[in-house]
Amino acid sequence: MRKPLHKHIAYHFKNVHRRITKYLYERDTILATAWVFIFILMVKVLPLPNMHFFDPIEIALEDFDFNDITYSKLKKTVGDSLDQRIVIINIEEFDREGLAMLINKTSSLGAKVIGLDVTMEEAKEPIKDSLMRDAIARNKKLVLASRFHPGEGKEESVFAPNYFSDANTHSGYVNFLSKEWATVRIWNPFIKNKIHPDSNSYQSFATTIVQEYDPAAFEKLKKRNHSIEIINYSRRTNQYLIVSGEDLLEGKVDSSAIKGKIALLGYINNNPENIEDKKYTPFNEEFAGKSIPDMNGIVIHANIISMVLDGKYINKLPLWATILFAVLIGWLHMSFFIHYYLENHIWFHLVAKIAQLISAILFVYLGMELFSRFRIKLDLTLTLVVIVLAVDIIYFYEAFAVWMHKKFKYKTVFHQKHH
Amino acid sequence: MRKFSFLFLALSIVIASLAQNNSFMIYSFKGNVSILENKVESKPKVGKILNSSSSVKVSPGAVLTLICNQNALFTIKKAGNYSLEQFKDSCAISKSSLSANYARYVWEQMTSHGEGAPGTNRKMFMNTVGAVSRSVNNIWIDPRLDTINYASGNFPLTWKSYSDANEFDFFLYDNASATNPVYKTTTKEMQIPITSILKYLKEGNTYYWTSAVKGENNDEIKVINYTSKNAYEDVLNQLKESGPAYEGEAEQAFRIAFGLEDARYYAEAYQYYQKAANLKPDVWLYRSTMMSFKKDYDIK
Repeated sequence: MRKPLHKHIAYHFKNVHRRITKYLYERDTILATAWVFIFILMVKVLPLPNMHFFDPIEIALEDFDFNDITYSKLKKTVGDSLDQRIVIINIEEFDREGLAMLINKTSSLGAKVIGLDVTMEEAKEPIKDSLMRDAIARNKKLVLASRFHPGEGKEESVFAPNYFSDANTHSGYVNFLSKEWATVRIWNPFIKNKIHPDSNSYQSFATTIVQEYDPAAFEKLKKRNHSIEIINYSRRTNQYLIVSGEDLLEGKVDSSAIKGKIALLGYINNNPENIEDKKYTPFNEEFAGKSIPDMNGIVIHANIISMVLDGKYINKLPLWATILFAVLIGWLHMSFFIHYYLENHIWFHLVAKIAQLISAILFVYLGMELFSRFRIKLDLTLTLVVIVLAVDIIYFYEAFAVWMHKKFKYKTVFHQKHH
Repeated sequence: MRKFSFLFLALSIVIASLAQNNSFMIYSFKGNVSILENKVESKPKVGKILNSSSSVKVSPGAVLTLICNQNALFTIKKAGNYSLEQFKDSCAISKSSLSANYARYVWEQMTSHGEGAPGTNRKMFMNTVGAVSRSVNNIWIDPRLDTINYASGNFPLTWKSYSDANEFDFFLYDNASATNPVYKTTTKEMQIPITSILKYLKEGNTYYWTSAVKGENNDEIKVINYTSKNAYEDVLNQLKESGPAYEGEAEQAFRIAFGLEDARYYAEAYQYYQKAANLKPDVWLYRSTMMSFKKDYDIK
């Protein structure tokens, strides 16, 4: 007579459970797991020379984050709605005179806050500069762009205010503090003034815009007191309303598209071969290796603003939680591997490789779900390294345990079968 | 009774949601577009919200992009009068779950088998074109046809159209700056067989061609080098000699085809791809490469 299905499932479940837990509380399992972490610590702490300078995998994956796959391959944000609080006005090739006209026009249509994502650090043509200064003076809700320049050698970076900034204007730095070729994943809402620590911190462009648009959201951001925020990208370029500056001046834009909104004046180019002011983002089709930048800086600012206005921040799990998770998972894997190592050694390597693959797929999925659904970033690199190293450490630990057994009569499960 | 009330409530909700009015926002437009609201015609404005009872008029060559319920973006390229009511299907959002997408992605990655080595995968290694493209018009000619070397055989000169035009003009010139074509014809197809213009070509000379929507101009011109038989033989012999000592006839034909394609002798390359596939019909690579070549260059 055949067993009912639920009994089959219960049998297999028990079987797997036994394989994982039989050696779980053995001293050897715990010590072998500890050795994995000792080994990782040694590699980290010992002043070994950098062995990776010529390693193509290490170089290619330097800027790699599993969560990028959720954007680039798993279509996160596809189907999400347009952000109706923000309109991006494409400044195309406008000079200062044209920009002044755009600011005035945008203001006349009732924008609540205008952000001008253009760095202007010095005087240019006097007539055009006068028009720009006049436009800035008239529009009190305008936020100008300033920036940091990298310091020479070991010197601190230098803050360069906007040429048109004064006591009555608002401004914020437009830098993303990432490497120039790296994916923009983080954002610094505030940067402390290191030269004059008593004065106010510098505010980023997006921070100042939020401050003007929604003071409550700004206070919430300030209260978080995070010097670095992970950007929660929620929209691709076409998920913001983008208006051509020329169309705006020609009256081809409905006032309802601007009124009461944040109008971001910046450069947009949808041609993938034009990379002016484009940065790498997690939306990039190539999430590892060489590729071309994919998103204009102004759209990144827009994403940051959307995140702050929605209060949908990403919280990174603390280091102790990451380590604890890696320890637990490493321990379970070690118990499972030791079971096969001792009792079904012929299958050990095959099972270990399959288990590593399944674990990698599963934990990457878990990380993505946490990131995508709960906005929690769990760094799984350590966990995956532990799973990979566990197999090799068993061999080392076996030799160590057998030696201890011979020398000090150390009780171990490894002393009977030596591989 | 309670059950009936519940059923009635549920039905009402379903009917209400089906009857819900979609709102459409003008995301962008180009060319001559007008909107009709409450029997009043007006010019469109970016950001304007329209309801389902409105209609839009799109003139030939114009493009209108709408976003439905702030969510689904779609573009109308074809000229005509449209009631927005008819676009309710375009308002549907297909948002699949992360888990399903992840499972699909892992499966695709585990079952993909690489791109092959350079020299075996035409598609992969011939798509990097070292040239710029200029001007915006309604015709797109594959950059691989920028220059064609031709000696014998048949091969289509093809193009694609961004507009809904039904007829196209084909122009053949004997020098790059000529204004009067040596041959002009109008066709309903988006290709011309090279054999149909052979009587206008003289061996050893260079010619220029382009195509345009009927009545329009296209400044993008392409080159045909009608090479002499000797020049072609030289290329062919070089390719033959550059092979390994022991090479089967099919392998040689395939290698020569690849070399000829690289040298832009497309008509001749096609003959050799065919030859390789015919000599060894059981070799999947030869057959798939030939099919892929036919598809790429619209060979019918």
